Amino acid sequence: MNRGISTLAPLERLLAGLLHYGTWVASCVIAVGFVLTLIHSNSGVSHPEMIVGMRIVTTGIVLFILLPVLRLVLMLGVFLRERDYRFSAIAALVLLIVAAGCVTGAYLAPPMAG
Amino acid sequence: MDIGFTVWLFAISIGASALGGMLGMASGIFIVPILTVFGHVNIHVAIGASIVSVIACSCGGAAPFLRARLTNIRLAVVLETATTLGALCGVLLAGIIPVSALFLLFAAILLLSARQMLARRSDPIDASAPVRTGSWAEKLNLDSSYPDRALGRDVAYRVQRVPMGMALMYGAGLVSALLGIGSGVLKIPAMDTALRLPIKVSSATSNFMIGVTAAASAGAYFVRGDIVSTIAGPVALGSVVGAVLGARILMRVSNEKLRVLFVAILVVLAVQMLLQAFGINPFGGSA
Repeated sequence: MNRGISTLAPLERLLAGLLHYGTWVASCVIAVGFVLTLIHSNSGVSHPEMIVGMRIVTTGIVLFILLPVLRLVLMLGVFLRERDYRFSAIAALVLLIVAAGCVTGAYLAPPMAG
Repeated sequence: MDIGFTVWLFAISIGASALGGMLGMASGIFIVPILTVFGHVNIHVAIGASIVSVIACSCGGAAPFLRARLTNIRLAVVLETATTLGALCGVLLAGIIPVSALFLLFAAILLLSARQMLARRSDPIDASAPVRTGSWAEKLNLDSSYPDRALGRDVAYRVQRVPMGMALMYGAGLVSALLGIGSGVLKIPAMDTALRLPIKVSSATSNFMIGVTAAASAGAYFVRGDIVSTIAGPVALGSVVGAVLGARILMRVSNEKLRVLFVAILVVLAVQMLLQAFGINPFGGSA
């Protein structure tokens, strides 16, 4: 059974690829945003480019938050393709709870930070 | 945006993450105390920044474990129903719990981590355990095997007491959302005592689950406006860089010295968080 990479289940390989490249992309987006912000911050006044830079940083942060969600969507897809309906339902349930978390944040919890 | 503060955030995140990575811990447990005590950041903003860095470290570290076939994906998704539900409850509680109680809880978790670091983990693997027909592990087909390099063969293991493991995971998810940490400190007892997984499988599966658990609360905190880009950005980036460095240094430093250093840092931070709970900050400024 020891044939190296080829024995690796496709799900493991897919997830490893998604998380590895996803981390790289999100990190690079944040880094680019900061470089843009820092370049224009020497003058002391707030440049429109600085605001653009911070928006890019925020995009990188959103990408990081979405990465585990994408991972769940990918797992759901693979379970469905394998006709493993029990695990498809479990993955869908986890996705639903994560979505409920976002809705909760928007409507129920009082805003704490200024 | 203050450039000096941004660079400071980036640097301390590299340090915290490298230190955590050397002993297989998430950096979140250091980030929140450092940001609140030394950076005078609001604790909710510190938790928001920390939770993003927890996701970053989990995603960044997952690939090697997956490629080595150490992660039990099926078990992870089953346990994630419990951790995300816990995180959801944590988000609800975070708005109600007074700030001083958050500091107290954080101090308690730090001390618990220090104690756990001193105690030795033994491998609870027990492949000879009888298969209990009708158990969750059997119904959901959770039992698996992992390749052991030292032995040069696949080692089979059984997953035990899934309901008890789920209950403990719910608690881990709750604390993770409340404090912005990966809460590995609470996952380890669940993995070792209840599920009785081999240590390598337990570390890999726990790391894999942390990302989704943290995403459940990070989504809520982002929508609520607790995730401030000027703080969360450098912290997330620094954590990824630190995790890469930590894994490299891991091979060269004696584990025993590192353990003592770690326990000392955890205890110092716990004392700081306790003082903070009573409104005292020896480093000036208000929490």
